[in-house]
Amino acid sequence: MAGSALKRLMAEYKQLTMNPPEGIIAGPVNEENFFEWEALIMGPEGTCFEGGVFPARLTFPPDYPLSPPKMKFTCELFHPNIYPDGRVCISILHAPGDDPMGYETSAERWSPVQSVEKILLSVVSMLAEPNDESAANVDAAKTWREDRKKFNEVAERTVRKTLGL
Amino acid sequence: MMKMRSLVFTGLSLVLSSVVVGNAYMQKKQFYPSVVYITKSNSSMAVLYLQAFVFVVLMGKLCRKIFFGQLRAAETEHLIERSWYAVTETCLAFTVFRDDFSPRFVALFTLLLFLKCFHWLAEDRVDYMERSPVISWLFHIRAISLITVLFMLDLLFINYAYYSTLLKGASVQLVFGFEYAILLTVVFMTLTKYLLHCIDIQSNNNWENKAVYLLYSELVTGFIKVLLYTAFMIIMIKVHTFPLFAIRPMYLAVRGFKKALHDVIMSRRAIYNMNQYYPDATEEDLQSTDRVCIICREDMIRDSKKLPCNHIFHTNCLRSWFQRQQTCPTCRMDILHVPRPQTAAQQPPQQVQHQQQQPPPIIQNMFPGFPGMQMWPPAPPVPPPMAQQGGTQPGIPVPDDTQGAAARTTAVTDTTSTSTTTAPMAGIAPPVGVPYLGPGVTIPPMPQMFMPTYPVNMMSGFPHPPTNMAGLSDDELREMEGIERQNVEARIQWLRDIQSLLDGAMLLISQYNTVAVNMSMDSIRTETLSTAERARTSTEVPVPLTSPPQGGAWSKGGARSKFSSPQDKNIRKAQSASSLISDRNESKTDLTELEGATGYTSPKEEMIPAWNDPKDEEHSDEMDEVRRRRLHHFSSSSSLSSFSKQDDETINTESGFQN
Repeated sequence: MAGSALKRLMAEYKQLTMNPPEGIIAGPVNEENFFEWEALIMGPEGTCFEGGVFPARLTFPPDYPLSPPKMKFTCELFHPNIYPDGRVCISILHAPGDDPMGYETSAERWSPVQSVEKILLSVVSMLAEPNDESAANVDAAKTWREDRKKFNEVAERTVRKTLGL
Repeated sequence: MMKMRSLVFTGLSLVLSSVVVGNAYMQKKQFYPSVVYITKSNSSMAVLYLQAFVFVVLMGKLCRKIFFGQLRAAETEHLIERSWYAVTETCLAFTVFRDDFSPRFVALFTLLLFLKCFHWLAEDRVDYMERSPVISWLFHIRAISLITVLFMLDLLFINYAYYSTLLKGASVQLVFGFEYAILLTVVFMTLTKYLLHCIDIQSNNNWENKAVYLLYSELVTGFIKVLLYTAFMIIMIKVHTFPLFAIRPMYLAVRGFKKALHDVIMSRRAIYNMNQYYPDATEEDLQSTDRVCIICREDMIRDSKKLPCNHIFHTNCLRSWFQRQQTCPTCRMDILHVPRPQTAAQQPPQQVQHQQQQPPPIIQNMFPGFPGMQMWPPAPPVPPPMAQQGGTQPGIPVPDDTQGAAARTTAVTDTTSTSTTTAPMAGIAPPVGVPYLGPGVTIPPMPQMFMPTYPVNMMSGFPHPPTNMAGLSDDELREMEGIERQNVEARIQWLRDIQSLLDGAMLLISQYNTVAVNMSMDSIRTETLSTAERARTSTEVPVPLTSPPQGGAWSKGGARSKFSSPQDKNIRKAQSASSLISDRNESKTDLTELEGATGYTSPKEEMIPAWNDPKDEEHSDEMDEVRRRRLHHFSSSSSLSSFSKQDDETINTESGFQN
């Protein structure tokens, strides 16, 4: 098991460095531990997160790819689908079976077909289009729905913060 | 920052306690008085408790350094998360045992908490083995020594709790006993995992069965935990109060066990399906894809399987995935609830075929090994003697019972409708004491009675052989053959029984014939005529079958004893046959459990009438004449009135059936 998880992660790392998708950089924190990755996600263009670079940490279980990894933003991010502590709440990161929000069909859950690249791409699209139906951060969802202007302001502030401005 | 603060705290507590102890010694000058002084003073005791706590923490840190070295971030996180639960639960436990509250009690709980922390850390560390590419010797030494130490400590405390409960009765030691017992299961699980990981690391290529072993060991420890918690609950409720603090871990244990059980069952089914039914991917299949197993992202050179949805994966990758989920990783098709490829391919054409050429193929399918049995000649040996008899007695007046004759024929042909055969049997049973009626009325229907019931059961009992055997694998063929052989054996057994039944009937008839010929015809005629007339006048009153006239007639003839024994024998046989048939019905239900086995399809019940109708007509055409004659002959007997009454009823049911 360990061997196959490691091999698969190495293959994915290779794939990601060979043809990196736009706006995404990801790789293991160090070469000794392939089960902890660091990712940098650029805010998608044309959204309130444009220009930002958001660091995140991916933790892979020993039985990857049978179980999904965990993803947590290490920066502050005010977003309906990101818990205040930075954990990302999207359906493909949930193993079928447990359903924290009680709405996801198993069709959009984790399966070994998914990959780091797909996760990060869905996170990018999540940043662009928050899903306020199932909010991980209720405050953010409320602001997003009722006071878009304020939401954009907060997002802009976060973007500046991540850039060190 | 954090380190600094704890360092300051430690130093402060050290200074404080040394001040307290120094002060006491300065005042009292001697050891014993100063101890008394300190224990009397609450403030100095508080300082000393604090100092003890600091020592415990330091001890813990030392142990951690020895056994784990630096903790990883994830481990610390885990530890803190779990510690909070443990602390709150401990506080809840304090409320239950507030009467025994003492420093010793607190110390024991603290120790328990510490040991728990070490168990969790050991678990985490062993789990980490799976992920880290290199495992040093230090790691192994640490892991083994830690597991040993934890094991010893757990045993020690369980032992202590056990004896203290035995000596002093139930106390808080009960809780400790159970807690340590559960920790012991954790140690066992950790040890199992450690050993499995070690074997995995030693072997160069992937060890595929490891996940299975893990699954089963989880199942076993889960079961033990559930048992322990249940026992603990029951004992605690009996001895103390409801143990609120154990609810959460108990719930977790039950849930964990349920999940493990579910996983084991489902994965077994899925893996069985995979091994049994899904074909290995062929070279062509592989060429049509990019040859990469989407699960492990490696080339498929090793054996790989093709799911019914045409997605191809490594067999081993699929196996480990099926231990989590029983769906196709790509399209999420539920593989436990799809028609198997073989049956799916062959089912529709077969059914179409059945509907096109309705009765004949079914009959052929029913008796594949017995072409002669297909039509099952409807008791041809029986009628001739009867006809002869009718011929030898031309002078017998024919009662106006055309209705009765019709009833007879329909009753004979329509025993089909009584698939249970109990009703006809009941009809046969009474004439035991009336041998005269026996052969004529009861015996001839028997073969016919069984004839239709067989097909009824056969229909539902036997799978139709697949049209094309070429598509089946060796295993499937063997499986099918296994079922078929049993069926054939059972069929032969039944046929033998039926044959002996027929032989008995024939014997009886021939005996009856000889007796009838030897009898003086005149006496019979007068007797039967008078009884027939009496019967006609009193049709409302059912005449008992063992009516005195015949009994008298036959006892006069002295043939009664001669006849009753074969008749009894015959009925016993018939009954055994009926029980056979009911067995058959049971075996039919057994067979329905085989549904889902290779090539097996539950037969369509609607086909039965479709099959029966033409046959019945055929029968009535052929047999009508014979039966009419037979019935005319027997209508002269007195008990016919009751029979015709029965037959009226059967006519009614029969007409309802045919409509």
